[in-house]
Amino acid sequence: MDDIKQPGGFSDRRNNYAQLASWIQQVMRQDETQATHTAHTTHTGEDGKELELLLNSDYHLRFYQQLPDFIMALLADEEQATLKYAPLLYHLAGCRECHASYLDLYDALQAAVSPVGPRPQLGQGTRTLNATPQRMLEHLCQSLISQAEALFRQERREHVANDVAARALLKLALSISARISQSMLRHRALRDLVRVANLFEGSVTEHDPDVHTYTPKLVGGARSGKKVLRRVDTPRRASGAPLEEPAIILQARSLGGTITQREQTLFLHLQDLAEELRGRHVIITVPLGALLEPVRWRGGNPRAIRSTIPVDAQGTLLTPLGETELQLSDSEEHNLLEAMFMLLEVRATD
Amino acid sequence: MPFTAHDLRYHAEQSYPLLYAYLHRHAQRFLGPLKYDAFEVDTVIGHVVEQLVRLGLFGGGANASLTALDHLSDAQFYAFLSRSVRNKAIDRLRKRRLQVSTSAELEAQNGDEIDDDPINEAVVPLWGPAPFATPEEVALRIAAQQELLNMLKHCIMELNSAPRQLAAVMQEIEDIGADALLGKMMQDLKEGLASSYPAASLQHMSQHKDHAHKKLRHCLQQQSTNLAVRVALRLTEYITFTAKDYTVEMQALVQADLSEDDVRTGLKILVLEGLLDWNGEAVIHCTAAQVKHLSRYYRDE
Repeated sequence: MDDIKQPGGFSDRRNNYAQLASWIQQVMRQDETQATHTAHTTHTGEDGKELELLLNSDYHLRFYQQLPDFIMALLADEEQATLKYAPLLYHLAGCRECHASYLDLYDALQAAVSPVGPRPQLGQGTRTLNATPQRMLEHLCQSLISQAEALFRQERREHVANDVAARALLKLALSISARISQSMLRHRALRDLVRVANLFEGSVTEHDPDVHTYTPKLVGGARSGKKVLRRVDTPRRASGAPLEEPAIILQARSLGGTITQREQTLFLHLQDLAEELRGRHVIITVPLGALLEPVRWRGGNPRAIRSTIPVDAQGTLLTPLGETELQLSDSEEHNLLEAMFMLLEVRATD
Repeated sequence: MPFTAHDLRYHAEQSYPLLYAYLHRHAQRFLGPLKYDAFEVDTVIGHVVEQLVRLGLFGGGANASLTALDHLSDAQFYAFLSRSVRNKAIDRLRKRRLQVSTSAELEAQNGDEIDDDPINEAVVPLWGPAPFATPEEVALRIAAQQELLNMLKHCIMELNSAPRQLAAVMQEIEDIGADALLGKMMQDLKEGLASSYPAASLQHMSQHKDHAHKKLRHCLQQQSTNLAVRVALRLTEYITFTAKDYTVEMQALVQADLSEDDVRTGLKILVLEGLLDWNGEAVIHCTAAQVKHLSRYYRDE
């Protein structure tokens, strides 16, 4: 295989190979903009240090995921291994990051199939997510969301259908985040969720002065996850009675709102809505609404929920959003619903 | 019950705590003097978890393709995890070596932890260094292996539709003295270009070169390119002259390393590139000129 017939002496030939190899490397080096960078998606740990994601979402997913099979083919001395994985080999000639991962995985797989010394013990136990450090759940959520974004980038670049796979990862991140009781960590875990989910929906969040954008208000140190409104100045029901039930508190600059639940129905309460919205119906958009099946959205589309009544003269609105078996009174289910309402937009009907 | 690779793929949420506990135990073991540094332990665990997510294993379910990791036995999979932890721990120890406080070092040296410090172990594994230990080594292997170079030739030919870019690349190859390695194909292309674009007259060479490199990079990393080249090579090996023309049965091209689907895909690409006439028949027919072209490009010896 390695015997190209070539006029000239052995050293000439070697030199030519080396020159050609050097040129191939030069060609295969990625553009600066396409290169895989170490991720800068970091967070500050409890001790002030940051736990970084290894790769950002622009890493070379297609090649990275071929590495185990390529390595196993090499370890099995498959004759055609280099030929079968030629595109990967070309990629490795120009991508130092993927090559470093190749070496890392090669060593670990070599150790797996050619063990030296005693086998490591199997992992056993009865641990639960609740007993796992929350900072590691946060890191896991970020990894999953970043991977979903990588799938999106691959879908766009290589025209492959990754939609289902990416959604599954986002759902998993949502679900795991619900086990994080500290709201600050939970928000950090999901900070890229809306942006990545929007990539797949094909909608780009742009600043539109006619759209009121609400996000959940952070409640510092609330470990239970249940937010019960008790203050005198808290939003009131349309009936005027103060809220004394678990709720998700929303804010949009100076505006406030809440999501509450009566039996299975989720209600949106908004106050002080702008003059131009008063007397009109509004369209409510919950961009992450489609990620969770347990909510049956009013009208069927979480991106276009029409209020059942118009905004009243005081700028107040109380309207149902949908029905669900999830309960705001349960802390994990509350967290899950809160994550889903990470973004809620309100605009007037046309 | 111990967790398995299957559990991580299909029951990620339930098996993560077990994975975490396992990685935590090993991270502490391999981090030696840093084992009580929560950040370092988290970093090692985070690295392995992220690697599993990136490989499509953790939480990948049925949406991500199975890889060799899914076919490891449980014991092998644990050995893989353990080694991954060890490697990252060594990496962290190296990075922190100079930052480790004197007291911590003294503590480690006074205790028996020094024996567990993996950084003291041999750097090169018992089974020797990995093949393709550097990107340079990868490139050298490509340059020296005819079958791999065929892909490069194929992609250079694809530049035919942009003659200035083709000329820029050919000039580069000639300058480094590697044109002979690419054989008769280079001569053919050179003859075709000589009349229209004499090398010296090329303006904006650097720009053409950059565009050409981008195209080459894209072409060389495509599995479809690889299939076309492998099928073309096999075609030239198996085709025989019959009474009227050159023929080969498609099934003859199908072997352990190339499935029927692969062969069909490769043939379709060759048709698109004008190197072949084929409409899905069981027998492939070629003219003498087509065989000559295919042989020159893919069997140049």
